Amino acid sequence: MAIEFGLKEEQEMLKTMARDFLETECPKTAVRQLMEDEIGHSPELWKKMAEVGWMGLVFPEEYGGTGMNFRDLTILCEEMGRAVLPGPFFSTVLLVGMPILDFGTDEQKQEFLPKIANGEAVCTLAALEEDGDLWAEGISVKALQRGDEYIINGTKLFVPDARAADYMLVAARTKRTENPEEGITLFLVNAKEWGIYIQNLIIMDETRKQYEVRFTNVPVPARNIIGELHQGWPILKQIALKASAALCAELVAVGEWAVETTVAYMKERVQFGVVIGSFQALKHKAADMHVAMEYSRSLMEWAAECIKENHPDATMAVAMAKSYCGDSAKFVTDAGIQLHGGIGFTWDHDMHLYFKRARSNDTAFGDSNYYKEWIVNTLEANII
Amino acid sequence: MVSKESAEAEALRREVRTWLEANLPEKWGTPEYVPPERFSQEAQDLGKSWTKRLYDAGYTGFNISKEYGGIERPAGEIAIILEELMRRGTPPGPQSLGLLMVVGTIMGWGQDWQKKRFISKILSGEESWCEGFSEPNAGSDLANVQTTAVRDGDEWVVNGQKCWTSMWKFADWSLLVVKTDLEAPRHRNLSYFIFDTTTPGFSRRPLRQMTGEVEFGEMFFDDMRIPHENMIGEEGRGWYVAMTTLASERSGGGMAMGGGGGMGMAAGAGMMGFGIGGVDSLIQLAKNTKRHGKAIWEDANFRQRIAQFAIENQATRYYGARLGVKMRQGTATGNEASIIKNSQAERRKLQGDMVMEIIGAYSQLMRGDPRAIDGGEQVYNMIRARGATIEMGTSEINRNIIAERILGLPRV
Repeated sequence: MAIEFGLKEEQEMLKTMARDFLETECPKTAVRQLMEDEIGHSPELWKKMAEVGWMGLVFPEEYGGTGMNFRDLTILCEEMGRAVLPGPFFSTVLLVGMPILDFGTDEQKQEFLPKIANGEAVCTLAALEEDGDLWAEGISVKALQRGDEYIINGTKLFVPDARAADYMLVAARTKRTENPEEGITLFLVNAKEWGIYIQNLIIMDETRKQYEVRFTNVPVPARNIIGELHQGWPILKQIALKASAALCAELVAVGEWAVETTVAYMKERVQFGVVIGSFQALKHKAADMHVAMEYSRSLMEWAAECIKENHPDATMAVAMAKSYCGDSAKFVTDAGIQLHGGIGFTWDHDMHLYFKRARSNDTAFGDSNYYKEWIVNTLEANII
Repeated sequence: MVSKESAEAEALRREVRTWLEANLPEKWGTPEYVPPERFSQEAQDLGKSWTKRLYDAGYTGFNISKEYGGIERPAGEIAIILEELMRRGTPPGPQSLGLLMVVGTIMGWGQDWQKKRFISKILSGEESWCEGFSEPNAGSDLANVQTTAVRDGDEWVVNGQKCWTSMWKFADWSLLVVKTDLEAPRHRNLSYFIFDTTTPGFSRRPLRQMTGEVEFGEMFFDDMRIPHENMIGEEGRGWYVAMTTLASERSGGGMAMGGGGGMGMAAGAGMMGFGIGGVDSLIQLAKNTKRHGKAIWEDANFRQRIAQFAIENQATRYYGARLGVKMRQGTATGNEASIIKNSQAERRKLQGDMVMEIIGAYSQLMRGDPRAIDGGEQVYNMIRARGATIEMGTSEINRNIIAERILGLPRV
């Protein structure tokens, strides 16, 4: 077992490079422009990200990647969270690139991974439906076989980055049995096919666009099935696991930004003739915020390391991290607004971008309460 | 928590387990085991002999060089030993205060003769220690110490009173912070001493606490004379020495087993799996206890809180592990101890409260009542936990430390 905390020298370098890159290429002015944009994706920025090798970071070299590990990827995700970077990196790499890498055939990897790595292919996952709940019974979009292709019909909801996407990984029901986890299949669908209708959702976190996507007789070749026919559910769970770890990395950075920014403000804002950071009631709040983020980071690094090492504790580690990081990021961004007072409530101040990202990340792939229920169930099973 | 280990690691793990079976008190860990009454002579003797056994086996005294009686082992081995000791649970040692506070202080500030004279006897449990810091008017405001020491030739003459002294009854030696300069400003007017508790002019008496027990005492000094060579650190610098003591104490929390600096112990604790730490027993209790005919374990709200408790246990442990890395890199400041101390104390309270909620009406039955759950231990723990967020720096003082020394917010 090699669970390691802290960063190695090359990881420190990756972090510094990523922070510099994003400060230059995606300052808050750019973030706010992309928030206004209906697609929320900058092809120019995407191209530059491909040039520095980000989309292919964890892909092996033979597929156009740089062969780095999952912990390295989370370092990148942290910096993206810190920048509240809009755009389809998370959708493309975590939601589609990773499952192709983990479950795709060699031909599929040859076909899609280099395109993802070089920035040609933007991808996303269409999993959730009307009930907004990621569980097997919630998947009712149908795919019926017709010759060597499948025809997809139905409506997906909360699909991130759908307008920017070239490919969508669609979770569809291919068989109805007593066990809802049986009979789900994942199809990599060309997002520009006829019959795909995309409708914007008016979404709270405008740095991460989401959509309704309707499929009307959309064909997809059978060779684009990722994993086995009817066996898509375990893959979805694996996607959720890694995506959640990446969301935790973002949450940690989001929360740390809120704490840093708030503490800095407490040192300069003067009321009653003194800086507000000298008031004990506020100091104690700041101390609690700091501790929440230190603990979040500890759980997040443990979870990322467990995934990297393929450790048996990975699911428990991610569940604990996702629950705690979500709660903590919500707490510190809320406290951040409170401690800023009126200015923190304005549109112009950046705190609300972090507040909203904390909430959308907490919700995605299971919120804090969802994971707590999972944790007690699992702990119970382990005791006996 | 399953993890792959090397053959050497597994062998050490087996060695420790076998040793524990051979050396723990009879019936240890079974319902038949009857522990000695807390704070009794019998408990003191058990703690002393247990410490001696641990020391002779090489399972304590880590992070201290051999020269001073320490036991040098690789970090990986220490982690395994601590993990096995924690897993099995071991008798509480009265030596723990010595390990927690005195070793770190003497190693950090002491003269060489002091290290040679005292460290090994603490590690082996031969000598017990207590701490003369708090006074009736110097609690959270520790710098407001009123006990004085006046120099007289090669000696200092001490007058005043200390309170909330743990291990007051059995201590052979004590730490002591006193005012040695009546003119100097705060924080620069104190000096730090150690003294033998058989010194004439020293007396002690019990201080009864809300559990009904006498865990702490008061110490009185009436022209007590201490040789000058017993000073730790420089004259007038006692405050800074005391800060080292408190940081060791805070980060060590209840995990005195490792010896040496408290931060090392916290880091060691960071490597443990999550089977321990009270979560398992909470779940068992919630499953076996019914309210209106339904197991409390079925209650969704309660389940969420148990999960939260488990998560925070784990977060503290992995924070400890991260701190261990920082210590090795030399980037830890010591102020992080306040974070660990606060969580341990607050979770101890929370655990007590959750157990009381589960056992309901039985939460009123104390030790001695035949119907008391766990012989009243759980109720005792719940009550005793009220002290946890006060001793070793209140939670509020520790939040001040985090805000001022870690976040750099202004001190008032």
